[in-house]
Amino acid sequence: MTLVQATTIAAARRARQNHATRVTLGLLAALLVAAIAAMLLGDFPVPPETVLQSLFSPLTGISNKGVDFIVLQVRLPRLILALLSGAAFGLCGIIFQTLLRNPLASPDIIGIAHGASAAAVFCIIVLGWGGLSVSLGAFAGAILTAVAIYLLAWRNGVTAYRVVLIGIGAAAMLSAIISYLFTRARLNEVQQAMAWLVGSLNAAQPADSIVLAITMVVILPMLFVLVRGLDGLELGDDTAHALGTHVERTRLGLMLVAVALAAFATAAVGPVGFVAFVSGPIARRLMGGAGRGFPQAALVGALVMLVSDLVAQHALPGTQLPTGVVTGAFGATFLLWLLVVSGRSGRVN
Amino acid sequence: MEASVVEARASRAAALGLGLVLLAVALITIILLSMATGARAIPVDMVWSALTAFDPNSTEHRIVWDLRLPRTLVGVLVGIALGLSGAVLQGATRNPLADPSILGINSGAALFVVLGVSVFGITQLSLYVWLAFIGAGVAMLVVYSVASLGREGATPIKLALAGAAMTAIILAVINAILLTSPRTLDEVRFWQVGSLAGRSMEIALQVSPFIAIGAALALLSARLLDGLSMGDDVARALGQRIGLSRALAGLAAVILAGAAVAAAGPIAFVGLTVPHVARAITGPGYRWILPYSMLMAPILLLGADIIGRVIAPPGEVQVGIVTAFIGAPFFIALVRRRKLAAL
Amino acid sequence: MLFRSIALGSLAVLALSGAAHAEPWTYTDGSGQTVTLDAVPQRIIASQDAAAGIIPLGIRPVGIYADSPVDAAKALEGLDLTGIEIIGQAWGEVDIEKAAALEPDLVLAEWWDRNSTWSGGKDVVATLSQLAPITGVSAGDSIVGMIEDYETLAQSLGADLSAPAIAENKAAFETALADFKTAIEAKPGLTALAVYAGDDALYVADPAGAAELLDMQSWGLDIVKPEGVDAAGNNYFETVSWENADRYPADLILVDNRAESTLATALAQPTWTLMKAAEAGQVAEWPAFWLRNYKPYAGALTDLTAAINAADPDLTP
Repeated sequence: MTLVQATTIAAARRARQNHATRVTLGLLAALLVAAIAAMLLGDFPVPPETVLQSLFSPLTGISNKGVDFIVLQVRLPRLILALLSGAAFGLCGIIFQTLLRNPLASPDIIGIAHGASAAAVFCIIVLGWGGLSVSLGAFAGAILTAVAIYLLAWRNGVTAYRVVLIGIGAAAMLSAIISYLFTRARLNEVQQAMAWLVGSLNAAQPADSIVLAITMVVILPMLFVLVRGLDGLELGDDTAHALGTHVERTRLGLMLVAVALAAFATAAVGPVGFVAFVSGPIARRLMGGAGRGFPQAALVGALVMLVSDLVAQHALPGTQLPTGVVTGAFGATFLLWLLVVSGRSGRVN
Repeated sequence: MEASVVEARASRAAALGLGLVLLAVALITIILLSMATGARAIPVDMVWSALTAFDPNSTEHRIVWDLRLPRTLVGVLVGIALGLSGAVLQGATRNPLADPSILGINSGAALFVVLGVSVFGITQLSLYVWLAFIGAGVAMLVVYSVASLGREGATPIKLALAGAAMTAIILAVINAILLTSPRTLDEVRFWQVGSLAGRSMEIALQVSPFIAIGAALALLSARLLDGLSMGDDVARALGQRIGLSRALAGLAAVILAGAAVAAAGPIAFVGLTVPHVARAITGPGYRWILPYSMLMAPILLLGADIIGRVIAPPGEVQVGIVTAFIGAPFFIALVRRRKLAAL
Repeated sequence: MLFRSIALGSLAVLALSGAAHAEPWTYTDGSGQTVTLDAVPQRIIASQDAAAGIIPLGIRPVGIYADSPVDAAKALEGLDLTGIEIIGQAWGEVDIEKAAALEPDLVLAEWWDRNSTWSGGKDVVATLSQLAPITGVSAGDSIVGMIEDYETLAQSLGADLSAPAIAENKAAFETALADFKTAIEAKPGLTALAVYAGDDALYVADPAGAAELLDMQSWGLDIVKPEGVDAAGNNYFETVSWENADRYPADLILVDNRAESTLATALAQPTWTLMKAAEAGQVAEWPAFWLRNYKPYAGALTDLTAAINAADPDLTP
């Protein structure tokens, strides 16, 4: 290798890194703006300086009960939950899309979200449950579905293609269960189930964010370790085997991580639509090949969630929509726009 | 050597041709069964006399004539449309997950139905047909336009992404309407499942010309799909016009899927899985996959509908639910047993 | 939603802090819990059903949360909502900031025993109960019973039930009820069937799952109970194929009137007229699940009385 070539390669690498840094910083800046908006906007008028005062009231001791309630009990937990659940959805989406080498293969399309949803609808309509028990049911549903898909796809190891096909089979069956339950229930229970299925941050509580935060703290280091095994996997199953990567172990580990993220996030806010699906492709398009885009997908997920929630709360005067109604529209519009403007190759994997 | 290859090819064609004949026989059997079976037990000879000597005062005759006949006809038409559109879409996008519901066609249709119900208060099934049809067309047009913008045109991956994104947007709008309008939710929750019940002859007549045209287009596009399956670069090198092929196939798919969703509501599973089953039998090559899908899908659909009619007397279970319940385990078993040809 | 209940410990502190020197207010609600406040609550947030229960009795909430846009909420039809803040127009959604700005001292909802939840669902409850204690009547087995529960509740909140407009509504209801009973007595052997008509099937209601049907049964109307349903086991309707539309013979068909389109759907079915009552036009409206006060109840009974008077009770054996 000549010196010139080496320099060019090094320069190209630097350019990629610079691009990745720019994307990351851009996303962080957008998140910051959205977070400030989330803290300032609301039907209970609070001036910006009062918001700040309220945020620091645990330290300063200067408090104003009504305002503190709005700022610390309503807006802050909602903001944190939006960021955490969005990041969790974004991450689990891109993990599945990368592992299965298919941009459509996010958990909300290959059955895992359907498992959570079917379990929740069953709890609401057949068992007459509400609240916490529905969340736990959904959590169990997601995990069970993921395990079932994996076991069914196992035949001397799993192939991405088989997981995807079995996943859509499972999704179809679970959707049928949901539809069937819908036609048998009384309208108010159908409404309750619908509201759960759409997913919302409306009842965000500090406790939800804490559970999700702990989940992330436990899972992220595991993810960091596992991701290093990915280079072999991305080349395809055969190549990966030949390279001697511990294909199954890495894949299983990553899937477990992704399922755990999906299950916890879904239990906290419901199966908020399409955040998992759009975050990966958006991150990849922004990165334009300058990296795998996992951290960026988490940031995109958080951004989609947060902005969608702002729109859901404030766009239509007099009506608050569930967050899940907007995430699909907002995230997907963004993705469509990227598809139109990006001149790069359409590869997502 | 040469001769044996030709011979093998000929015998394979003969076997596949025989398979088609068997499927056709199975379809006819299922059609007859569909006329004779229902939530209400009607003796076969009475079914026959209803068809040959209709007596408007006989309850049984009215049921055969007003309910079972249109229902069977709609089932066959919708089955053909679903099977073909699924196969064509998977071929055109080269994605095993492509089906009308993922590419935005079903959701576009559903959106227009929901808007029709909530904004204009339309509740007649026969008007849903037109709404669904227009919605499917508009959605597919938008998806295709978005995907074909940009330098490299409508690549499979862009089509799939644009379709799924479109679905996401539309579902969001639908959910917003359903959540804020319980009356619409009440109306639509039954339509959304996908059902052949309550479909009148009028509906069968409305959609049949579209399905005929769509089916002809789809069958004619077999060669184009085979070209596309080699990858865009190879196909282009062989002189195929990629964009045109994909547009033609897409047109066939949207006509078929639009007609199907218009007549029976969004039945997701048939279009998705039947082509995979067909491919497992015939191997690659759309010359065979398309006719196999076209015959297998109505067998699955009508068979599921018959089961749905008798499984929960005195009621029925919607065909959309039964197809998923029968089809999914079968499909999963198939995926497990065979090494399916990747697209 | 996970572990949300942990956060409920801190509820209601805000509302209880501004204690005035007045008589304490106590109410034992449909779930069996007793709520005690230092004074009679003045600023009430009500669910759409609770609002429909108390507004006609002269108690005006400061805010309402509905399951749908209020103009589409059947229960609120005909009620004057001017000056009342609407803080929710979709199921499970309330604007907590608007609610907080209203400074409520009580939230009224209905207790659903089966789901162990207040109307509006757990999310709404978790949100609103941070602002004020939540209470209300039980969504029971009789609309009349519920209206009486609302009368007790409204009285404790300061309503004057002898006010002319309120007494008039009640008297009108009692007249309508007497006429209804007379009409039924005049038609011995008359049977009724309560249905919802879908394009895919006919749904026959279990009267045990609907409070107004239970009322009518107690007043002598013979409502057919379909087989294979069990409202207690959350199976409110029997799905009947249109092929079997004549499965339950009845002289009068009551069609769910939550949506006007239901009757149109029924009429469009070729086998709707397999039912003798449908063929003879002996069809009336069933005010399904939404009645909460006397005025619309009186209207519904008057319509039913007319349908019964016009009906031939011997269409079916």
